[in-house]
Amino acid sequence: MVVLSAARWVRSRLSDRFWRVQEVLKYARHFRGRKNRCYKLAVRSVRRAFVRSTKARREKKRFLRALWITRIEAASLEHGLKYPAFISNLLKSQVELNRKVLADLAIYEPKTFKSLAALAQRRRQEGFLAALGDGKEPEGIFSRIVHHH
Amino acid sequence: RYVRQLQRLQLLFSPTGADARGARQFVEEVAQDFARQHPDVVLYVSPHSGPGPAPVLRAEYLNGTVREELIASKTSEEILQLATKLANQSGLDIIRIRKPFHTDNPSVQGQWHPLTNKPSILTVQGPRLQPQ
Repeated sequence: MVVLSAARWVRSRLSDRFWRVQEVLKYARHFRGRKNRCYKLAVRSVRRAFVRSTKARREKKRFLRALWITRIEAASLEHGLKYPAFISNLLKSQVELNRKVLADLAIYEPKTFKSLAALAQRRRQEGFLAALGDGKEPEGIFSRIVHHH
Repeated sequence: RYVRQLQRLQLLFSPTGADARGARQFVEEVAQDFARQHPDVVLYVSPHSGPGPAPVLRAEYLNGTVREELIASKTSEEILQLATKLANQSGLDIIRIRKPFHTDNPSVQGQWHPLTNKPSILTVQGPRLQPQ
């Protein structure tokens, strides 16, 4: 810090206040009411908006998962299966597709989704046979588990 | 083959300003080696005499974007780092990418519409398709 004699130490005034204010207001331009124009109101609104956006990143994951589940449920009901049956039987047949991919398949590849639903239905029937008719019948084809080592 | 997206780098500084010291050092020492290492980038050095605007490193890319970086009060190593960073970038705008993927043909089997899984009586039957 430059130390001058007391008489020469001039207190200078702030010159880039405009840009400091604009840095905050640029994030408030799409708000409603006076908070998109007035700095004092905008500072509070912008800070709350940022806090909400950081917290919402965790909610977004939950929201998207719920959306995918709704879509998969609708698509599997078209093929006569309920969502829990569909998902559990797919997992038992070692088809480890996540809900995002299943929802995209249901939208863009309906025939593939139909075959997946048929696979889940077949595995479900084999599960019932294995549980109810114990012993004599051989194990179902789609109930076999492949071990990858 | 890799095509460098940086077209030209313009170094605008004044030969007398105090904040352009790093820029002058850069031009004296490192600029030639930088230009040799990056043969497909054109380096323009334009000193404007007298007290002018702040020293600036302007990068122009093949898609037309122009990116200006202030080099006032920076050492020549920092300017070299900046220049290499700009040389390795592409000219796309630096904003949040909404999706890391993009397809022109998202659907191979035909996108789902409410009539895909309905039985065939509801769909239009051409002259050759007989109802089974």
